[in-house]
Amino acid sequence: MLTQEKKQRNWKPIIKQFEAVVGKNGVVKRREELITYECDGLTSYRQRPDVVVLPRTTEQVAEIVKICDRNSIPFIARGAGTGLSGGALPTEDCVLIVTALMRQILSVDLENQQVVVQPGVINNWVTQTVSGAGFYYAPDPSSQIICSIGGNVAENSGGVHCLKYGVTTNHVLGLKLVLPDGSIVDVGGQIPEMPGYDLTGVFVGSEGTLGIATEVTLKILKTAQSICVLLADFTSVEAAGAAVSDIISGGIIPAGMEMMDNLSINAVEDVVATGCYPRDAEAILLVEIDGLEVEVAANKQRIAAICKQNGARNITTASDPVQRLKLWKGRKAAFAAAGHLSPDYYVQDGVIPRTQLPYVLQEIKYLGEKYGYRIANVFHAGDGNLHPLVLYDNSIPGALEKVEELGGEILKLCVKVGGSLSGEHGIGADKRCYMPNMFSPSDLEAMQWVRAAFNPKGLANPGKIFPTPRTCGEAARAQSAKQFETVERF
Amino acid sequence: MTKIAQELGSIVGSDAVDQWENIEDRRRVEIARSLKAETFPSCIVYPHTEAELSEVIACAYQNKWRVLACGNCSKISWGGLVEVDLVVSTQRLNQLIQHAVGDLTVTLESGTKFADVQDILGTAGQFLALDPTAPELATMGGIVATADTGSLRQRYGGVRDQLLGMSFVRADGQIAKAGGRVVKNVAGYDLMKLFTGSYGTLGIITSVTFRVYPLPEASGTVVLTGTADAIAQALTNLRSSALVSIAADLLSSGLVACLGIGQGFGLLTRFQSIPESVNQQSAALLQLGQQLGLQGAIYSAGDEVNLWQKLGEPISASSTEPVITCKIGVLPSAAVATLTELNKIVPQSEILIHSGSGLGLLRFEANAATPQRILEMRSLCQSQSGFLTLLEAPVSLKQQIDVWGYNGNSLNLMRSIKQQFDSKNILNPNRFVGEI
Repeated sequence: MLTQEKKQRNWKPIIKQFEAVVGKNGVVKRREELITYECDGLTSYRQRPDVVVLPRTTEQVAEIVKICDRNSIPFIARGAGTGLSGGALPTEDCVLIVTALMRQILSVDLENQQVVVQPGVINNWVTQTVSGAGFYYAPDPSSQIICSIGGNVAENSGGVHCLKYGVTTNHVLGLKLVLPDGSIVDVGGQIPEMPGYDLTGVFVGSEGTLGIATEVTLKILKTAQSICVLLADFTSVEAAGAAVSDIISGGIIPAGMEMMDNLSINAVEDVVATGCYPRDAEAILLVEIDGLEVEVAANKQRIAAICKQNGARNITTASDPVQRLKLWKGRKAAFAAAGHLSPDYYVQDGVIPRTQLPYVLQEIKYLGEKYGYRIANVFHAGDGNLHPLVLYDNSIPGALEKVEELGGEILKLCVKVGGSLSGEHGIGADKRCYMPNMFSPSDLEAMQWVRAAFNPKGLANPGKIFPTPRTCGEAARAQSAKQFETVERF
Repeated sequence: MTKIAQELGSIVGSDAVDQWENIEDRRRVEIARSLKAETFPSCIVYPHTEAELSEVIACAYQNKWRVLACGNCSKISWGGLVEVDLVVSTQRLNQLIQHAVGDLTVTLESGTKFADVQDILGTAGQFLALDPTAPELATMGGIVATADTGSLRQRYGGVRDQLLGMSFVRADGQIAKAGGRVVKNVAGYDLMKLFTGSYGTLGIITSVTFRVYPLPEASGTVVLTGTADAIAQALTNLRSSALVSIAADLLSSGLVACLGIGQGFGLLTRFQSIPESVNQQSAALLQLGQQLGLQGAIYSAGDEVNLWQKLGEPISASSTEPVITCKIGVLPSAAVATLTELNKIVPQSEILIHSGSGLGLLRFEANAATPQRILEMRSLCQSQSGFLTLLEAPVSLKQQIDVWGYNGNSLNLMRSIKQQFDSKNILNPNRFVGEI
């Protein structure tokens, strides 16, 4: 096992090499400019990187990574910095490789329904590029107007519409990768199931620990003929949860199905004032259905009837784009609204089997009461992906630690009922200490084999996903250090 | 009794080990079609539990015995030829672990037969959205190991897109798992995707969790047949229309003739939804086809089921000639043109291309095959960003040609993954790309 040597690296010659690759403008080294990069969307952890490099091409990324490899410098890829698990959190003594200048849409092939983009391209641009021709890119994280495709690939991002169409990994056909030794490989292609291991599949969601994707081939889908959003409000969360179960077991697969509790409803009404969500409702359910007009018309009736049976007070529907957006607006603003309710909030994204929803929500409520924090709940109800937002004030000493402990209890609860630590935000720096709650030493060792094959020196995004004894204390100490002796730690 | 059979018998019981010469004839012939030479494995072992399988593999690992892993042997002849010390079958690991009806997931032991799973799910009005080869025999583990599904890819994606979690026995015999039982999960690396289509070279799958879907209320299939140009135009129009098919397959004239559904090229398009939608879409596509001068018919009920079942069956089952089956891929936009060219190389070939993904199957009688012809067809597919992999072929042919046809630049990476997962190279050695 390696122990960290605290000697200061001489960055000057290394920066010179970086500048030779990307020019002086492509290297950020002044302390005040580096502050921008000290955290991603998970702001409770911060670490200023030593250098930030902004390449524009695959070749430049490869050259930078080679310099890191030669000098044994850890490197961390960062897209738009909107990740919520600290996946792009710098480590001490590292280079941050930021893809913000890699923003070209390289090709659009409508006939084969695919688009090739650089990793810095913003999620929403893909749909904007092809929507005129009647296509769209399905994964739509709430941050889609600012988050980048490279980050989506790293975290295997989901969104409100992944219930029917799947998450990022279901829409990536191929990747050009810069491996941690600086070599360039192409995995996947323009057709699925090319011969060989599905390296595209294992790379998507690997959180930057296996290399850097510099070109991404995405599948695009045909826009549905008809889309309708239903909003139903309920006097109890249980009733809304029961409606979700009945819709699914009734054989309907909506494009998306979202739930918000009373605290979230009021938060968004305070902030974006949609006037759509009744403030006295205990829960609202947003259901989007798409398909042929005849299907949407029939399913709209069926869903409305199911909601009524489960005690829905009002049902509003919207078919034209402006009205639909209005209904969605509050949901998309939910995280931002939590920021207005309280100085800080802490979000988790555990997943549970849909049918456990009422029980788990009750338990989360108890946990909130036990720890003394308010918790707003927003979630992808269709696929059981929770987003409890724990409201707290970071300026109170010890508050963050307590809130993290509370978050940890929620995650353990999710695992206990047969769920997962994360549905779409990733493990990152945030949740790695909980991995042993979900995976055995043998499971984690098998995953480390993948890392050892791609990233034998451990330079690509160290300290993410996997627990280490130094940072995770007891939880990880239970893992025999011997298990991971082939992998270096930083 | 051989030493291997004896030692493994002490783990699984003597009733669960058959020495090579005692294996029933049919199965022995099947296994022999996957062997490099006439050096036979000593025995086949049928563990009853994951724990037994774990012990068997741990024992093989210690002794460096090479293992050919299989389920029910329905696809054992696919892939590269092997030379092994024993065969391990998961067919007795066949328990339903959990069908979470309300969560639309099912967890099963890997030796469970696909047909049995569909029966169980069907009673709850659900189904697995897969249509693999040999559905009556195929096991879930085998379907995952070979990534084998068919026309339903159009709507539901491949096996990789529906596999939510799994357990497996590692090459050293330890049990590991990845993923979970929920439909959305990003915790840890996605080993499910790595294992899907890995032909048993990374570990032996012991259980799988799949996403399932509600059975559709209604179903209908439009069959269009005619000239290549008209079929190509119909496909283009279908793609740009609002119609949403769950399968849309392009058929060569040989296959159209074999199915007895018309003359010339064929396009089979299946709609499944509520009855109004199926009727509306079927009528719209039929009209579209007829306007292009194509012959058309709508299949429903029993006729429709039979049609799709026949499409999945091997070529003219009556043929006594050995058959060659290839998995191919071409850019969807080049599907009709490539199919025409492939037909020129082997005129009577039966070709099926899923028009959405560009994946497909190519079958012809072995007497029409020479390594040159296969390589010619392969380069044709590769020129359309695709591939051609030999699944099933006489051993003599497989000995003369690289069955996989991998032409990418990440073979070193694949080899180091194999090295990490199976450092002694005991699991299905040589079965996969690049002699992995």
